[in-house]
Amino acid sequence: MGKPARNSAGFPKNRKERCRKMDLFVQTLVNGILIGGIFITIAVGFSLAFGVMDIIDFAVGEWVMLGAFTAFWFNHFLHIDPLLLLPLVILLFGLIGYLFQPVLQKVINIKHRSAALMALAFTFGLSTFFRGSALTLWGFNNRNLVTFLSEKSVTIFGVTLPALRVGATLFALIVTVLFMVFLYKTKTGMAIRAAAENRAVAGLMGIDSHRLARLVYALYAGLTGMSGIFIGSIFSVFPEMGVRYTAFAFFVVVAGGLGSFSGAIAAGLLLGMIASFVTVYLGGAYVFLILFFVLYLILLFFPKGILGKGW
Amino acid sequence: MLKKPPLIKISLITAIVFVLTAVLAGCGAGAKGQKEAGEARDYFKVGVITSLSGPEVYGGNVTRRGYDLWAETVNAKGGIKIGDKSYQVKLVYADDQSDPTAGADAVQRMITSEKVDFILGPYTSGVTMAVAPILEKYKIPMITGSAESPLIWKQKFKYTFGTIPAVDLTGSSPISTLAKDVQPAPKSIAIIGVNDPFSKAVADAFKAAAEKEGIQVVKYDIVPAGTDFTPLISAIKGLAPDILAVGGHEKEHMEVVKACKSLGFMPKVFLMHYGITTPDFIKNLGKDSDFVMGAAVWTPDVNYKDELFGSTKDYVQLSKNRWGSTPDYTEAACSATGEIFAAALAKIGATPPLSEEERDKLVQALEEIQVDTFYGPIKFATEGNWYHNNTGLKPLTIQLMNGEQVIVGPKDVRAKDPVYPVPPLSAR
Repeated sequence: MGKPARNSAGFPKNRKERCRKMDLFVQTLVNGILIGGIFITIAVGFSLAFGVMDIIDFAVGEWVMLGAFTAFWFNHFLHIDPLLLLPLVILLFGLIGYLFQPVLQKVINIKHRSAALMALAFTFGLSTFFRGSALTLWGFNNRNLVTFLSEKSVTIFGVTLPALRVGATLFALIVTVLFMVFLYKTKTGMAIRAAAENRAVAGLMGIDSHRLARLVYALYAGLTGMSGIFIGSIFSVFPEMGVRYTAFAFFVVVAGGLGSFSGAIAAGLLLGMIASFVTVYLGGAYVFLILFFVLYLILLFFPKGILGKGW
Repeated sequence: MLKKPPLIKISLITAIVFVLTAVLAGCGAGAKGQKEAGEARDYFKVGVITSLSGPEVYGGNVTRRGYDLWAETVNAKGGIKIGDKSYQVKLVYADDQSDPTAGADAVQRMITSEKVDFILGPYTSGVTMAVAPILEKYKIPMITGSAESPLIWKQKFKYTFGTIPAVDLTGSSPISTLAKDVQPAPKSIAIIGVNDPFSKAVADAFKAAAEKEGIQVVKYDIVPAGTDFTPLISAIKGLAPDILAVGGHEKEHMEVVKACKSLGFMPKVFLMHYGITTPDFIKNLGKDSDFVMGAAVWTPDVNYKDELFGSTKDYVQLSKNRWGSTPDYTEAACSATGEIFAAALAKIGATPPLSEEERDKLVQALEEIQVDTFYGPIKFATEGNWYHNNTGLKPLTIQLMNGEQVIVGPKDVRAKDPVYPVPPLSAR
């Protein structure tokens, strides 16, 4: 990149150059928030599942993928706008999660020194199984999810806001707030928090942690499947699409503090910011390097997560 | 350990010795892997190693379709004719999972257990480079009908050949078309490359060509696979380049176009390689795919002939009937790849299964022959930086128009004039 003209071109060009730089900075900031927004829904569910059930679900990305494919199918056969399918997908995946959780619970309950590790290995296998099944079922083609927001964007003060991404972020925030209300204002929510904090004591207080774990897993699967619709329409839908989100979910949960809810949101935004700023000002090649270096620093100096609320 | 009953100890040692013997014996047999293995058959067993799962599964299946169509057509006509007798072709598949390491394992397994006569090669350049040294070890010839990275040929593998000219020979074509054949000529270019051996080579080729033509490179960035392109496009938008060039595969190209559209950024032209000629790119982007430029060495409109498929037109029709979509240059190259092997086998008169000596002769024949196919004349270089690469095909500049690939350069062969600057995405 050549240096911007300063003296020779005179003041106006210089000012234009400054404006351009300012615009780019604001746009990068906004992009960061919007990228982070995509991760929030996944991070919230993932974090909760970990908190209550000690499950690190390696198949998190595959739930995203299955959600996207489900929306693709409904869209393809019934011509319903993918965004209108959000409630349907959360219900459908919630139900699948609810029915599936006991299988997972069996693995965690086995008498083994590191049952959590067994669950990790089990969900790893599950993710491979889901990917293979998707490849068999939907084939190798890349699919496109077109929503009524896909084509639109708004420009404010030189900053472009892609409508779909704004929608995804707003939606993630609304879901998170609703979730917070549920966790902090309802009895079931309180029970979940109690179980997350100390399952043994919660059990002694008469909380049925098995039923709660099922509920939590249902919520987690529903939220994750639903975020697949946004991810599928922003990017594209294919059997391998989930893999990158598994890696990011781990980053978000570890950086945010294991089991911490608000930490996960902050970490999701941090992830978006790093991806955005590093790409623009350093180069895309450095994103992962810096991402995991930051994670290392966080683990070193804030082992309980960036907000200090994790374990 | 000392307190263990001696019986267990002895049986343990016996077991280890047994396993070691088996492994060593297996290696020995594999290393020779020839007629003495005692397999008598009257058909050619042909290995196909390509990406049947993983991120590049789509492209992997593009190559598989090409190879399958060749095998089906050859078998329908009785098989490969050696002397007076024809031999059927049987394909066996190995999945490289889009991963070089997995590809190396898969090909080794395929060679030792299936004892294939020769191999039709991978979709990606990364896997090709991982597989090639193993073929050297087992002395099995392979032609890849897809890989385009120049790095493969610099390593001078004896048993590996490639049908499509390396991208440093072809990638410059669209840039020179843009520099010479449109008015006003573009002045600046931003280049994005995905971090894999092929895509990086594409980005390098674009950069070298742009610098040579005096087009200013305002941004050059290599990004990891699976990246979110929005921040990068935002940065590029501020630089307002005339050309946005991307080295990658169809999925990345689709995401770049989508990101540009969502950020309201429109360069005067998109230049992308590889994958814009694949049916998925055109189908998923619809009108947004129009006017994207790229490089190719073959389009459905070229006119060549051969004995097996007839004319290029016949091949395209056959492929459309079989797979339901127009073949792109990689799919077609894979079909042509089978024809080269058949011609070389006929020349040396080797019958299946091939011995090590016959496979060496096959390599020699591949170096010597020139085969005229529906894809164009194919002749492998036998020295220099493109060792064993088919360098003879003329690089073409293509531009998508109404979902069709149209040749827009070089000037002497073009079907239509290049469109530049192209209509913005929002006004189509």
